[in-house]
Amino acid sequence: MRNAFLKQLPILLLGATALFSSCNNSAGKAGSSDSATSKETVKIGVLHSLSGTMAISEVSLRDAVQMAVDEINAKGGVLGKQIEPVIVDPASDWDLFAEKAKELLIDKKVSAVFGCWTSVSRKSVLPVFEQNNGLLFYPVQYEGEECSNSVIYTGATPNQQLIPAAEYLMSEKGGGYKKFYLLGTDYVFPRTANKILKAYLLSKGIPKENIIEEYTPFHHQDYQTIISKVKRFAADGKACILSTINGDSNVPFYKEFANQGLSAATCPIMAFSVAEDELRSMDTEFLVGHLAAWNYFQSNDLPENKKFVADFKAFCAKKGLPGGDKRVTDDPICWAYTGVYLWAKAAEKAGSFDVSKVRNALYGLDYPSPDGLVKMDPRNHHLAKPVVIGEIKPDGQFDIIWKSEGLVDPQPWSPLTSPDKDCDWVNHNGTYAKK
Amino acid sequence: MKTKNNPLYYILFIAIFAILLPAGYLSGLLSVNTISVWGRYFCFAIAALGIDLIWGYTGILSMCQAFFFCLGSYGIAMHLLLKKTVAAGAVLPDFMAWNKIDTLPLFWQPFHSFGWSLALCLLIPALFAFVVGFVLFRSRIKGVYMAIITQALTLAMWLIFLRNETNLGGTNGLTDFNTLLGYNLSSSSVKLALYMISFAVLCAAYFFCYRITNSKFGKVLQAIRDSESRISYAAYKVVDYKLAVFVVAALLAAVGGMLYLPQTGIITPGRMDVKASVEMVMWVALGGRSNLKGAVLGALLVNFLYSICTSLFPDSWLFILGFLFVITVLYFDKGFMGLLETIKQKISAARFKTPQTTH
Amino acid sequence: MLMCCLLLLPLKVAAQDSASIYTAQLLQPTNDSVRTQAIGRLAALRIPATFPLLMAINDKKLYLLDHKAVTVDSKPTGEGTYRLYSLYPDNRLLTNSSGQPLLLPLSALQTVDIPRADRLQLAGIAPLMNLFSNDAQKRILAYTQLKNAGDSATLPILQAALAKETNADARRTGKDVLYAARLYSATSTATAKAYIDSIGDNWSDNAPVLLRNYAKAGFLNQETAHYAAAKAISLEKRYDSLQRIQNFFSGLSLGSILILIALGLSIVYGLAGIINMAHGEFMMIGAYTTYCTQVFFTHTLGIPQTDLFFLAALPLSFMVAGAMGWILERLVIRHLYAKPLESLLATWGVSLILIQTARLLFGDLTAVKTPQLLSGGWQVSPHLTLPYNRIFIIVLTLLMVVFTYLMLYRSRLGLQIRAVTQNRQMSACLGIETRRVASITFFIGSGLAGLAGCAITLIGNVVPDMGQTYIVDSFLVVVTGGVGKLAGTIFSGLGIGFFTKISESFFQAVYGKVFILVFIMLFMQYKPKGLFPDKGRVAED
Repeated sequence: MRNAFLKQLPILLLGATALFSSCNNSAGKAGSSDSATSKETVKIGVLHSLSGTMAISEVSLRDAVQMAVDEINAKGGVLGKQIEPVIVDPASDWDLFAEKAKELLIDKKVSAVFGCWTSVSRKSVLPVFEQNNGLLFYPVQYEGEECSNSVIYTGATPNQQLIPAAEYLMSEKGGGYKKFYLLGTDYVFPRTANKILKAYLLSKGIPKENIIEEYTPFHHQDYQTIISKVKRFAADGKACILSTINGDSNVPFYKEFANQGLSAATCPIMAFSVAEDELRSMDTEFLVGHLAAWNYFQSNDLPENKKFVADFKAFCAKKGLPGGDKRVTDDPICWAYTGVYLWAKAAEKAGSFDVSKVRNALYGLDYPSPDGLVKMDPRNHHLAKPVVIGEIKPDGQFDIIWKSEGLVDPQPWSPLTSPDKDCDWVNHNGTYAKK
Repeated sequence: MKTKNNPLYYILFIAIFAILLPAGYLSGLLSVNTISVWGRYFCFAIAALGIDLIWGYTGILSMCQAFFFCLGSYGIAMHLLLKKTVAAGAVLPDFMAWNKIDTLPLFWQPFHSFGWSLALCLLIPALFAFVVGFVLFRSRIKGVYMAIITQALTLAMWLIFLRNETNLGGTNGLTDFNTLLGYNLSSSSVKLALYMISFAVLCAAYFFCYRITNSKFGKVLQAIRDSESRISYAAYKVVDYKLAVFVVAALLAAVGGMLYLPQTGIITPGRMDVKASVEMVMWVALGGRSNLKGAVLGALLVNFLYSICTSLFPDSWLFILGFLFVITVLYFDKGFMGLLETIKQKISAARFKTPQTTH
Repeated sequence: MLMCCLLLLPLKVAAQDSASIYTAQLLQPTNDSVRTQAIGRLAALRIPATFPLLMAINDKKLYLLDHKAVTVDSKPTGEGTYRLYSLYPDNRLLTNSSGQPLLLPLSALQTVDIPRADRLQLAGIAPLMNLFSNDAQKRILAYTQLKNAGDSATLPILQAALAKETNADARRTGKDVLYAARLYSATSTATAKAYIDSIGDNWSDNAPVLLRNYAKAGFLNQETAHYAAAKAISLEKRYDSLQRIQNFFSGLSLGSILILIALGLSIVYGLAGIINMAHGEFMMIGAYTTYCTQVFFTHTLGIPQTDLFFLAALPLSFMVAGAMGWILERLVIRHLYAKPLESLLATWGVSLILIQTARLLFGDLTAVKTPQLLSGGWQVSPHLTLPYNRIFIIVLTLLMVVFTYLMLYRSRLGLQIRAVTQNRQMSACLGIETRRVASITFFIGSGLAGLAGCAITLIGNVVPDMGQTYIVDSFLVVVTGGVGKLAGTIFSGLGIGFFTKISESFFQAVYGKVFILVFIMLFMQYKPKGLFPDKGRVAED
């Protein structure tokens, strides 16, 4: 009997080798099957969670990237090559993000990766990209304090979202608010955002006792206690909430807020993580009149944007994606989409898909995005773009009530909290100490 | 185990992982990523052995193995981060400097030295397991109560680790390391070495667990599983036995975590959330409970499937995994190992057509 | 006062005339600068009659209907049509020939576009204008903004606004401002004290701060200052005791949610002895059933604003989740009664499948529109609002507990369930169809989870993995209470609810949770089998 098994050993071993090598290549094949043309292709990776807690937000970004890729391919591709997206699912699992990043860069040899939403997923893949000379286009607003050579940050830095919002609320027009309740989900973005906001507010002469900071765990559902604290805090008027509450905690938060008798008129909530996509199928009744600060709103009436919005709806309907033509665009979707075009334009400019050439071509590159002409910083990997503040309307869209004059330059290191640091990849080696 | 120990499994296992895979890599057939991914699965397998000891052999369903795993990982991560910080000429790791902390917290100090780090990575989980185990076993909490309390404990720890105040990096965890004992972690040869070390540790852990389960100590454990009251009537100190195996399982999880960290490059509290801690038990259940080979096989196979399914079927992999769980439980209640045994018997029956050879 | 008004009258008439001229200029400007000037003048004149018009400009809601200035409600009435209000010279609801409110879509109106720069001229008098807003919240805000502007010019306007104030909150805030202004201008101790008392009786949100500030300033004399300070302290004490009631209520509401979820879990666990990891997913199914019912009512049946859907959703979510549970029992659980731990694995697999199915079907974050009846809250006292949705959940939980009690202890089925729970083999020997009993129990248990899901749509959102948020908590309730024990589930659910809320008011929310977990661990030391352990020989296996 033992002999019989020993005889089978070589066959089994052969089978095992076949299995390992197949898992190496199979995903690539699966992706290429629909582009039947014998044209040469260039691969890009799409690293957005399609399952798990982050899927709610990230699936839309995959759709936006896919749409940009389809558009570019229909126009003849980049440098005469069709783009072939390799889509993987990191499943909201931070370790898997690193593994998938390695797979995309080392096994699939993609030219660029479009992906990530949370800070932790970006931090997780960062070393992988740096060690393997990859290029990640990161489309979500983030906490700054980072300046990697391998990441193109198309989302906002703190000064492109937080500071203008606080400034607006303190201004005469914004309501002249004097007390600030900084409420967030307990993770890096809210923590850093609130640190910067606090420094800013203190610098503007807001006394310490008029600023409260509080954090809730992820998926927190019960806001009763916090709202009664807010109520007390807001009792003498002139108080507002700066909210970095994330994801599914928002609905219970706004509902409780309204049910305990507070409203946008008495104490507005300025949200930094609530966009059209989250509001899409939500009951917006409780949110109407509250504010949000972003760089882009779907209600932007530029012709480029109108086309983009219509195209996106048509794309989702055509592909049979959930939501179909009821889908909406929002800030991260806009930047995920713009990211692909920025990469394509840079590759055309550089005449190559080589990461360092593309990176060099990106400095100072401008592109007519749905949000108007935006421009890459000439010295680092962030995007200069307008800042807008909107008021939530009953249909889940935003009424733009404030817009910055022109583009706001990115500051990855906030001068409020890190006055001695700056980021420059042209004259310096990334982060450097300012004299 | 009742079945004879067939050396074929060992030969096949060693042939594939110690020879075939490295050879495949050296010949250029497999990428270094594949090697490193399998190295990580070995770490999970080591932890799975611990779970099999405590759950499969002793009948205590502990849901806090993921936490012990993380303790090991965090310990090594702290060491690597401090080394990197010191090499860069700074005093504090980046994230602490951003959080406006000016002195290194006291509990980070020992992790400057590799030796201390190793010792603490083992000591802390062991101590933790001892205290928790002592408290729980003494009050005779068992069965589902044990499972849910340990799960709650993991949840509490998860919440604490998520906080920035604990100075362990919060949600982002610890990441971005470059060297271990002076070796560059991103170089292919170091990855291969880590893979081989993980493999060797896995083999050693297997051997260790094998010896345990076949010793008198192991027999007592199984007796506790089968009938705790009877074994205590026979004057065995059940609490001591349970406590011992709980600590051993925690140590195995921690060792897995320690090896896991340098190969993954990141540790976050996400590794010990509810999902992760249930998944760890799933490996063992799928591989075959009360069967050490099953634990190893389950950990390797489930993670392998997880990896390839998330790449190949990004939209539907959860269905595949879900149905796999359900079907395995319904039809192959001894897990993959049970399935393998059945197939083996079928094959040999078909080959020799003589019923005597099967037993 | 009367004299003053009489004196002002001719002036007022003149102002009225010029207001009409400016209004006309504003609506049909010959050029941009004329309009800018007209708005500037109107803002400077501060005539209450022009406020609705100016407000409409400020809110970008100025429209023309037959060359007359009109504005619309902030929310459409349902089918995209709005109620219309005339603006100047009178401000009233427009009606059609039959006396019903005139409803028109925005497209039927001509939008008057006033440039931003012109609108900014109105920022200065925004609080004054908003005193006459149709929106109570805006009025409240306006009163708050007036707080430190109780000068002689604005006081009459404030009084005029208060005279026609209809909203209690707004009136309270408004009175506060009025009293404060009077208090600061009071010249005798007695008047000052009277106003301090009035402020105390009025008890607005701002009252303690206001009184404290007055006391600090020592405006009139030491006596009034002390009196104000004492009043502030007594108000705060009263506020604190109300806060305690609020906390108690929060704990009760959290506890009842936990009980609602744990009820089904406890019955199922008690009977089948399996850890049903998919229990949270049945809750999710209940929530999605509610969502679907809502969509069905609004889109298919075309009944836009109705609370009926929720009434229908309650039994439906119970039935749908129950049916799914029954199917699960038939297909999977039935084969696993002898193997409790294997069932954990299988149900975990089932939960993965259910979550992914929900994600593919519904895609994303959805939320159910709260029924009109259940939004808002019961204003017990000025500072104590008990939200209706939470009261509803508490009542629902109470009903379900009673239902479960009757089912378990007062029915034949309950007797059988309890028998099977105690000893499956023995019950089978005595002729109980254990399989049928198990199926029904699973149906009821899952149905209860579905009902919990339906209730939770009132306070939270509907996402595919919503069940995972509650699963550990509900397991803790079951374990702390003692498996399969109704009374235990209720006590531990309430206990955990109260403890969480109490600890949350001391620690931050995160530590509150950790504190509870540690507390439960220590509690289990004392009662390892839960609050209500089995007594007698059954207890030892």
